[in-house]
Amino acid sequence: MFSLYRILLYLYPPACRSEFGEEMLAVFRAAQTEAWKKDTFMHTRFCAREITGLVAGALSEHVRTIAVFDRPPLIFSRRFNMRSEFRFPKITVTLMTIILAGVVLAIEKATAIEASVPDSYQHVGPIQPAHFTFLPTMLVIMGGACLAGAIGWAILFALHRSGLHRLAEFDPASHQGSGGRTHA
Amino acid sequence: MESLSVTEPVLLILLSLADHPRHGYAILQDVQDMSDGRVVLSTGTLYGALRRLLDGAWIERVEEEDTPRGRQSYRLTARGRRNLQLEISRLKHLTRVATLRVARKEM
Repeated sequence: MFSLYRILLYLYPPACRSEFGEEMLAVFRAAQTEAWKKDTFMHTRFCAREITGLVAGALSEHVRTIAVFDRPPLIFSRRFNMRSEFRFPKITVTLMTIILAGVVLAIEKATAIEASVPDSYQHVGPIQPAHFTFLPTMLVIMGGACLAGAIGWAILFALHRSGLHRLAEFDPASHQGSGGRTHA
Repeated sequence: MESLSVTEPVLLILLSLADHPRHGYAILQDVQDMSDGRVVLSTGTLYGALRRLLDGAWIERVEEEDTPRGRQSYRLTARGRRNLQLEISRLKHLTRVATLRVARKEM
């Protein structure tokens, strides 16, 4: 159980794991020693509670990492801040590529199955298979993603060059007092 | 700094640290004792709550030399104590209102 707990700790974000992982293991070991003294039912309940608590805790930490709770919504903040504090985890690219490859492979497999099934329903007629192959499809999708990324980067770069981000430091009160014209 | 919702486990953890600093396992046991065994925290739940309380500066680590990580103690900060008192006042008010309402209904 202790080894399983140690493995499940890897579900937590690395920063959280390095901060609390060792401590959690020590507390778990102490709690497990206590649970062993009780009957089998209590020990089973303890194991189930610990595993569900750990998985739920890891999920909650990941959600917290993705969502930025400490920033007020832009609509209420009255300030426009160009600095983004959000960063995708490094593993995101790998996971997205795997998911994308899975989707494309599924499409290819479905196309192959569709081609192998004999045309039994005469009213509709044969469904023409899409002439996709794996590599060109991947290239087209990756190209599209790169293009979208480049456009997004260009927009952000243009906004940055325009000096819009300096509005975050703009204080209307001090500007008015130091030399701005006031209207009676 | 994120705003904290004081759920029952969080309230019990704060109460556990109200009298003196405690380490993780002592908090687990104290929470169970205070709630008569009704609230049993898992380590995942405990450290999720402790992390949020640390981020909100409601609690802090007690810096002790030669302390192993498993015996790391936590204590309430002034902010945490103030918020705990506010929460207790809120609960007192709620209990008073609830008592009055129930008594009025019984008459």
